[in-house]
Amino acid sequence: MRTREAQVNALEVSHLKVLLGNKVVLDDLSLSLAPGQIAALLGPSGCGKTTLLRSIAGLIRPSEGQIRFGKQLVSFSSVHLPPHKRKIGYVPQEGALFPHLNIADNIAFGIDRAVFTKDQIRQTTKEMLALTGMEGFGKRMPHQLSGGQQTRVALARALSIKPSIVLLDEPFSALDAELRTELRADVINLLRSQNTTAILVTHDREEGLVSADVIALMRDGKIVQSGSPEDVYSSPISPTIAISTGDALVLQASKLSDGSTDYILNPIKSSANSVTSGHIVIRPEEIKLSKSVSSDSINGLITKIDYYGHDAMVAIDVADQHLQVRIPGPFDFNVGQNVALEHVGPVRFFANN
Amino acid sequence: MLTTSPAPIEQQHLPVAQSRSGWRVALLAAVGAVAAISMIPFVYLLVRASDKPIDEIIQLLFRQKTLEVLATTASLVVCVVVINLILGVAIASGLHFVQLPMKRLLVIPTVLPLAIPSYVFTYTWVALVPSFSGFAAAVFILSISTIPYIILATLAGLRSIDGSQIEVARSLGLNPAQVFSRVVFPQIRGHVSAGALLAGLYTMSDFGAVSLLNVETLTVSIQNMYRASYDRSAAAVISFVLIAFSILFVMANESIKGRSTNKQLLKSLSVKTPLIQKAYLQFASVLIIIAFAIVAVIVPFYVLLTRFFSNPVAIDWASLASATFSTVSVAALGAFIALVLSAPLGYLLSGAPSRFATVTNKMVVIAHALPGVVVGLALVSIGSKLGGLYQTTFLLALAYAILFLAKSVTSMSSSLARVPNGVKDVAATLGMNQWAVVKKVIAPIAAPGIGIGTILVFLTAMKELPATLMLRPTGFETLATQIWSSGSINRFNEAAPYALILVLVAAIPTFLISRPDKEEQSFNYENAGGPSERS
Repeated sequence: MRTREAQVNALEVSHLKVLLGNKVVLDDLSLSLAPGQIAALLGPSGCGKTTLLRSIAGLIRPSEGQIRFGKQLVSFSSVHLPPHKRKIGYVPQEGALFPHLNIADNIAFGIDRAVFTKDQIRQTTKEMLALTGMEGFGKRMPHQLSGGQQTRVALARALSIKPSIVLLDEPFSALDAELRTELRADVINLLRSQNTTAILVTHDREEGLVSADVIALMRDGKIVQSGSPEDVYSSPISPTIAISTGDALVLQASKLSDGSTDYILNPIKSSANSVTSGHIVIRPEEIKLSKSVSSDSINGLITKIDYYGHDAMVAIDVADQHLQVRIPGPFDFNVGQNVALEHVGPVRFFANN
Repeated sequence: MLTTSPAPIEQQHLPVAQSRSGWRVALLAAVGAVAAISMIPFVYLLVRASDKPIDEIIQLLFRQKTLEVLATTASLVVCVVVINLILGVAIASGLHFVQLPMKRLLVIPTVLPLAIPSYVFTYTWVALVPSFSGFAAAVFILSISTIPYIILATLAGLRSIDGSQIEVARSLGLNPAQVFSRVVFPQIRGHVSAGALLAGLYTMSDFGAVSLLNVETLTVSIQNMYRASYDRSAAAVISFVLIAFSILFVMANESIKGRSTNKQLLKSLSVKTPLIQKAYLQFASVLIIIAFAIVAVIVPFYVLLTRFFSNPVAIDWASLASATFSTVSVAALGAFIALVLSAPLGYLLSGAPSRFATVTNKMVVIAHALPGVVVGLALVSIGSKLGGLYQTTFLLALAYAILFLAKSVTSMSSSLARVPNGVKDVAATLGMNQWAVVKKVIAPIAAPGIGIGTILVFLTAMKELPATLMLRPTGFETLATQIWSSGSINRFNEAAPYALILVLVAAIPTFLISRPDKEEQSFNYENAGGPSERS
């Protein structure tokens, strides 16, 4: 990011606390986004992702903390800007198109009729239809569109009011895999081309990593880690967090007094004493396999191969441990084969408490 | 509320292998028979009216008396419908959108008045206010009798709107009032209009309240002509005015419904509507509901109970018991006939309905719009020609079935449509023949809905007055006729026990099958941190 200090963040959420009934749904949550940044909120169902979006949109009133859009304070103790004054583009799950309006009227819905002339509104609607690749669909009714098309229209409707921030709540979750990837790329490109600040809620790890500038990992109403996709993927702050951004092996390990780490793929033969016991996190793709088995190498037996096409997940028994290793194609390993394993990648050690 | 429930989400109708033609022919014949039965009143009235020379008909139609009565009926309907629309939509919106204390208690008055016939309402209010009479009184009584139709229909419409649409509209810059007018209302218009139709038809066909309150509407005119002068041809002619009025109403509703394209996009709602917590709205909602509860529930029950317990006249327990038995048995027979008649038509309508089925359904709906007076008049005349049927409880039960067949058909077809096609196909591939599929798959899935429809016919039949008065065998007394023949208002104390029993017998099932509180129940649970918090 450019000079961060001089720049006002597009969105600044600090120490947010939200109660629904007596249940604390968000707790001391902070998040900031620079203009044009796209953030992905990643976390399991029920961790508070949607609640955070709805708090930002003003649909829920937080009990503590504050929310700023740029310099404007929209939520802080008694201050609560109602949702219709926030200029937020909100795309909820499954789009929520207005079933009684056609596509053009859906898109034009939020454009202020007191400010813009009919021609201007028609023009904007046309632009939005073109922008989202929905030219010619203006006269259709929502129920005549496929799920992906409905999502496009929902996005067009959100962008039509030139929002300061766009909030997308699992917009692709109802779509099948192929369409999903394609539409996701389209949507992200569109948001980037408009330099729109956006938050994308997802529970799909890959979707978050591929789309966002910032990944915010949520657990039980808190953001437990945030950073660039590379950071959160390669430097998780705990074994549990590692799993939430991708497949991970969590193996027994101990840190020795000489600074080296002893684990199954790196047995230390020195006499240094174990100082701290804990776990090491390895990504399955960080283990390399080879057929050159020797007495010096760490060897294992392939028990299963799950073939995914572009890569494969190989289950290997090493001593009494079961490891998962991801190997790229082309594949020349077979079940029952003995292979040598080598860990090439960062050593992420987490001491036991 | 079955008669106004929104159409079930359309299933895709895959081409089905042509079923055996014998079965098909039998089904169509059965539907034809149902159509014929529904048309009995029309055919009779047509024949009757044509007895009169045309110039006499014209004279009858345009004499001042007729025009006055027509004007009274029309203004009564307009007043009741307008009041209902305002209050009903307001109460339903309050219940749906506003966070209210004890919501489960507050919804009770939205259905309970359905159990109280308009003539019982009238009795109780007259007992309380002796000078209670005239047009304004009729507007009042018929409004409280019919508001539940609009409340329930509106609630059903409101519940079909996904809360996320409201949230999106808010985020797009609409204030709550704009959200209501641009997002909510266009989508519930069809429901509201259906509720208004029911209220309007009820008002048009009401006989008990208006005649007690000395308001001469078309139904009272018809009854008078029939009773006083036995001029059935004139009664038939005036009946046609009433029918034309009803059909006009049904058509207006159809056109409103047709324009509101509330095609559901989603199979289930993803977001519950957020509840408003503004104090003044909470206060206003509770106030208006309590006020309604007082005039429509508490006053009638209070009067009935006090009259029952402080009755100077000894209660005739034997006649009370026999009237209760007669009421229940003839209403049950009527509901059973309606159930049987609705089966073939309901079955045809649940699939991809043919033109024939749709037209037949229209006939049934129009028969539903016929006032009891008209159907009674038709059957009483035909019955006297049939000899054996005349003066039997069967003829009365048949009148109930014709009058309320539409309720039964609606619940039959929507319950059958709820059976997924895939399930039927799977059952067939598992080796079941057509009858086994019906018995083991379709019936168990559809039975609860069909049962509710049948109970609804039963309840409505219990309260029916004008047709009962005309068609009952001599000496056969139901609760309704006993209340009526305790007759003049000063003898209300004698009617009180019958009215109380009727209301109590009707109230409990009315509440149980409507269950307007059900939604709130689950909503509270989720609001308290149940599984619907998705994020």
